[in-house]
Amino acid sequence: MTAQKHTQKKVRGFSTKRQNITGWAFMTPFAVLFSFVFILPIGWAIYSSFFREISEGGGAYGGGELVHKFVGLDNFIYAATSDKFWTGVGRVVLYTVIQVPFMIISALALAMLIDSYIVKHVTGFRLGYFLPFAIPGVVASLIWVYLYNGQISPIAKGLAALGIPVNFYSGNIVLLSMANITTWTYTGYNMLIFLAALQAIPHDLYEAARIDGANGFQIAMQVKLPSVRGAALLAMLLSIVGTIQLFNEPQIMQIADPGISKSYTPMMMALNTSQGSITPSGDGPASAIAIVMAIIAGLLAMVYIMAERKVNES
Amino acid sequence: MNTRGKHLVAGVASLAVMALALAGCGSTSASSSSGSKDEKVEITYLHRLPDKEGMTKVDEIVKKWNAANPNIQVKATKYAGEASNMMKKLEADVKAGTAPDLAQLGYAEVPEAFTKGVLEDVTAEADQYKKDFSAGAYSLMQLNGKTFGLPQDGGPLVYYYNEAAFKELGIDVPKTQDELLASAQKAAAAGKYIMSFQADEAGNMLTGLAGASSPWYTVKSDKWNVNTNTDGSKAVADVFQKMIDAKSAFVNPRWEPSFDAALKDGKLIGTVGAAWEAPLIMDSAGGGESTWKVAQLGDWFGNKGKTGPDGGSGVVALKGTKHKAEAMKFLDWFNTQVEDLTTQGLIVSATTATAKTPDAWSKFYGGQDVMKELVAANNNMGDFNFIPGYSAVGAAMKETAAKAADGSGKVADIFSVAQTTSVDTLKNLKLSVAE
Repeated sequence: MTAQKHTQKKVRGFSTKRQNITGWAFMTPFAVLFSFVFILPIGWAIYSSFFREISEGGGAYGGGELVHKFVGLDNFIYAATSDKFWTGVGRVVLYTVIQVPFMIISALALAMLIDSYIVKHVTGFRLGYFLPFAIPGVVASLIWVYLYNGQISPIAKGLAALGIPVNFYSGNIVLLSMANITTWTYTGYNMLIFLAALQAIPHDLYEAARIDGANGFQIAMQVKLPSVRGAALLAMLLSIVGTIQLFNEPQIMQIADPGISKSYTPMMMALNTSQGSITPSGDGPASAIAIVMAIIAGLLAMVYIMAERKVNES
Repeated sequence: MNTRGKHLVAGVASLAVMALALAGCGSTSASSSSGSKDEKVEITYLHRLPDKEGMTKVDEIVKKWNAANPNIQVKATKYAGEASNMMKKLEADVKAGTAPDLAQLGYAEVPEAFTKGVLEDVTAEADQYKKDFSAGAYSLMQLNGKTFGLPQDGGPLVYYYNEAAFKELGIDVPKTQDELLASAQKAAAAGKYIMSFQADEAGNMLTGLAGASSPWYTVKSDKWNVNTNTDGSKAVADVFQKMIDAKSAFVNPRWEPSFDAALKDGKLIGTVGAAWEAPLIMDSAGGGESTWKVAQLGDWFGNKGKTGPDGGSGVVALKGTKHKAEAMKFLDWFNTQVEDLTTQGLIVSATTATAKTPDAWSKFYGGQDVMKELVAANNNMGDFNFIPGYSAVGAAMKETAAKAADGSGKVADIFSVAQTTSVDTLKNLKLSVAE
């Protein structure tokens, strides 16, 4: 018996090893690609954020060659003290504060509605709400550029006919116009996250609640809502990280509104710095902007998680 | 264990498939070098010409050259991205040693490309072809007395207007500033506009209009003298401010769909535009037969009949090219294919042949010899050159122009922003600026 156990143990040890190898083999393509397209670029960005491309030799045109010069923390100091950068950060934070709660609440409401027994033909609704997400962000923005155009848009014309002239591109409204595009695109996506969470709730709970005399609304508020807290945390976090990196909408809407500056959001500022339409330019300052922004996004996400935990505890 | 073995096999197999797929991806990109039998030379050329339907495509033009020159084979590629991203690509390509031999660059980008170390000095190889191009354009391909390529086309600013609509209002193309303001007022009273303020083009058009009178950037004892608040700039600011205040200019970004809509529905009946906009305005206004015309700019900004540059490009040799002489030989031939290049909508800088107006153009522009008018403008440009890093200046001007357009700023601010941004840009590149 002992001998049998012993061999069994040995076999198990051997097979675990085999299993590990298989696991790693499956892991390799991912690991290789992940390090190539993710870890390596991040490492490179951190490295280049300590350098600046400048011309040497002075004169009117320089020596005809840019020199890769170590500048220490200069690029970070530039990013952290740039008015443009902080204006951009302020803009995306404001955007997040307005857009994310609105979108998450709408998504939750839609998910609850679809999950309730009132709605028939769930597939159609689910697909319909999700469809905008299938349209690439750039294309969606292009569509909305037309829909916001004062002279072409049926929406603008319709509102004007009702006596409400709206300029979707004017100063403060343009941010809301962008928020509308994001909401339109991602509400369906977040709804799916909530729907999945809702459908994972064991139906015994509903039955128990019903036996206790709860009606449909009470079940929704007191059984379903608390059960999707985890999903809400995930959806909120993804949305915060996404909106902080706001890029597609303002980049495309620039066509229609030259007032959307090259540094409208920090991500646009990073791209345009790297391309040379903001000075100082080059990969160094651009990387520094991106890194500072990543740190800010991380901090905001952490603050949100901590606040959420506090609220849940109390 | 048997099943585990299968798993492992499956794992290895899927890895192998992945590797194959990756290898497949790789092999397509590494096939540009052809066998070097004979003394065959291959030249690569990156362009961003329109290549639209009805034009003689760049590939077709190059095919003619390749047939006649078996030893200098050219491979032309169209740059698919946005023009503003191309510099970045060239910079990276030069560093990686994979840059093409020739690439198209806007005149405003040439100084920047030099400072960034992208250009190859071809003074010796290009000099013999100098006679084939207009002197002004050739000088835009030169810095510090060295030549870096050959000019292709020019973009002088001209005035586009609808003659019949003007007659209906009883106005003519204004000759002076006062006439311009008065006529604009008259047209606006009838719900029409004879001038447009395009915030998105501010960094090109307003610079060109101001540049018609005097340059902004001059080099004295190897130092930049920057003055973007010239008399020309002040006049441009003054005229546009008056027109915006009086609502007698059509205030709309150039590349927003409603600009084309205004051309089409006859609300916008006159505008300043670059020469290369001739076919674009034609398309926007609906094409076919019409009474649109092209005229020279009036003396509206103290420009004394001169005009300024808005766009236009040359083709430069890129650092690391091994076949300078062959590349310039091809380039001289290509840039003097006047008839073919004209179909691309270019106002060529070559002086070897007279450009003919395409049929569709003369139909739209009421039988006018449009090309002759545009070439006249091309030969009537004030001296203007750009600084390295000008794209940052243009971008800052555009933002400020948007404020002037919605009334939260003044047109004059555009030029003061140009001043500070120009100086900052030069300083950040560690170039010398006189203060």
